[in-house]
Amino acid sequence: MLTLTKDRALALAMLALTGILLAETRNIAPPTSWQPYGSALFPQILLGIIAVLSLLLLLRTFFVSPADRKDEPDRPRRSLAAWIRHNGTVLSLFGLFGLYALLLPLIGYLPATLAFLVTSLALLLGIDTRRKWIINLTVSCTLAPLVYVIFRFVLNVWLP
Amino acid sequence: MADFFLQALAQVGTPSVLLLILIGVLFGIIGGSIPGFTVTMAILVVFPFTFAMDPVSGVSLMVGVFVGGYSGGIVSGVMLGIPGTPSSITTVYDGYPMAQRGEPGRALGIGVAASFIGTLISVAVLVYFGPLLASFSMNFRPWEITALIIFALTLVAGLSHGALLKGLLAAALGLLITTVGYDRNSNLRFDFGFDALGAGFEMLPVMIGIFAFSQLMGNLEKLRDDPQSAKGANTNVAIPYTLILRDMAGQKLNTLRSSLIGSLIGALPGTGGTVANFVSYDQAKKFSRHPERFGTGIPDGIVASEASNSAVAGGAFVPTLALGIPGDLPMAIMMGVLILHGITPGPLMFEQNPVLVGAIYASLMIGAVVMVLCQLLLVRWFAKISLIPQQVLVPVVLMLCAIGSYALNNNLFDVWVLFAFGILGYLLWKASVPLTPLILGVVLGNNLERQLFRALELESSWLTFLTRPLSALFLALAVASVIFSLYQNRKIQRLQADGATSRNA
Repeated sequence: MLTLTKDRALALAMLALTGILLAETRNIAPPTSWQPYGSALFPQILLGIIAVLSLLLLLRTFFVSPADRKDEPDRPRRSLAAWIRHNGTVLSLFGLFGLYALLLPLIGYLPATLAFLVTSLALLLGIDTRRKWIINLTVSCTLAPLVYVIFRFVLNVWLP
Repeated sequence: MADFFLQALAQVGTPSVLLLILIGVLFGIIGGSIPGFTVTMAILVVFPFTFAMDPVSGVSLMVGVFVGGYSGGIVSGVMLGIPGTPSSITTVYDGYPMAQRGEPGRALGIGVAASFIGTLISVAVLVYFGPLLASFSMNFRPWEITALIIFALTLVAGLSHGALLKGLLAAALGLLITTVGYDRNSNLRFDFGFDALGAGFEMLPVMIGIFAFSQLMGNLEKLRDDPQSAKGANTNVAIPYTLILRDMAGQKLNTLRSSLIGSLIGALPGTGGTVANFVSYDQAKKFSRHPERFGTGIPDGIVASEASNSAVAGGAFVPTLALGIPGDLPMAIMMGVLILHGITPGPLMFEQNPVLVGAIYASLMIGAVVMVLCQLLLVRWFAKISLIPQQVLVPVVLMLCAIGSYALNNNLFDVWVLFAFGILGYLLWKASVPLTPLILGVVLGNNLERQLFRALELESSWLTFLTRPLSALFLALAVASVIFSLYQNRKIQRLQADGATSRNA
């Protein structure tokens, strides 16, 4: 049975991206007499290269054994649910960062940064001991205002 | 030469710039000494702080981080047995055993002294060869520059740990990223109807997103899979100055050879400190009268490793300044700093901005002096700081990345760009795609397109790329680098297969 290895997933994703972007190049202004090469040529060349490389990558997964593919270590396959459980911390951190980007313009730099630091430190350090909470709050409450002061008053950069 | 250097020295010698170099060096050492943080990450974190500075101040701060970063790896290498940066892996071979033997101060002192000399020798190489290469490359026309960029990208892709196909794919993807937004003819590309995409992607959030997220999340995964990697250490260190002077006196040739190897390797695209410290350690062993003692905690190994990885600092500036082609990741970011300040690295930089070039020389030299003082006086503190857990570091660095991206244009869209490319970088890293060619592609994409079409506008035939000798040479080297990389991969596979067969026999 065919399995979706990392290399196959990468090659298929790249081929899909190439297809979408190649279609999109039709919306780019066509060449004119004073711009004989047009604006679409360079991305089209790159998309062609990416498509060829992706096809080679895909073909390699069928003809070269995983042991010989130095760049794709053979690891036990996991179900999606098991993979999400295994990578829960990293995925949660991505989620927290997305939330942080969302909150920055809504509630401003200081509250958003404090919220991001406290929650992400709690996620990574844990919340089971008093010492961890002290580290968490000390780092968050010191760094968030310090960065604000440096950007706002030393570098004259406005923060949201 | 003397005139612009004196002017540069006067600008770098002001208290505010000296303070910035000190801050840069301190931050660089701290960044380099924390395992998994790396010099590149230290540079990325400091980069946004240069936005509001004048070019000399910004570049001096960054050079400080660069010099400090390459020497910082020794701290955790000696104290914890974990290299702070990949460029100090071989420092651990002799530094850690020496520290385990009860001489951590001696190991650190030798490493710092070797780093100092290595940096100074590499500055001399830069001062001599930088202008030479720049004046030679003044003859480069668009055909040669296009071919040179293609060569640099294929070389970096080919050196991507046996992942040639993915390295080339990453380089092409990096180039493609730069095609979003208005192009040279003021035509829109790939905006998908979003106004914000009209201006294209800013280089900084793209670079930070791709590199920082994959690196930081990778560190967390490593910690999850191997909790033992976070170990403690005795940070009580005293530096035996007299003994170190005696040690260094016996290592003159080794120091010089390793520094020259580091400078040369630093000047080659796609290599950097990691290759430099392996090659120079290997050479020191070959030239040694007692090669069997390498790895047991002898000064020779520490000197070879630290002199070479620090010498990369000056060497790496040669192609970046003279050709506008960064050889590795830290240099790609350094080039981003220069572009951000309105300076285009390349042969013309030596004519148009000689004072800034001089400021880089001066900052490197002053940075080396500041580095040696900081390391010797504060090494105990750096050792303590290197124990900061990743769990604390990761959220703080992510926050700094977000604020740095925002501060670039006071634009929240850049934070979303950072996030999107963070996800992309992480996924590509999980798929074992090398990220250095991708970032180099992002840095060089606009120039490649500009030069390619300038060449075609001057001479419509594509064959001109092959009829001009230098352009043809660079393209031939690009093809050769791909073939060599394929050959190397085959050789490694054969060796692995032979190893597996002999194990099974």
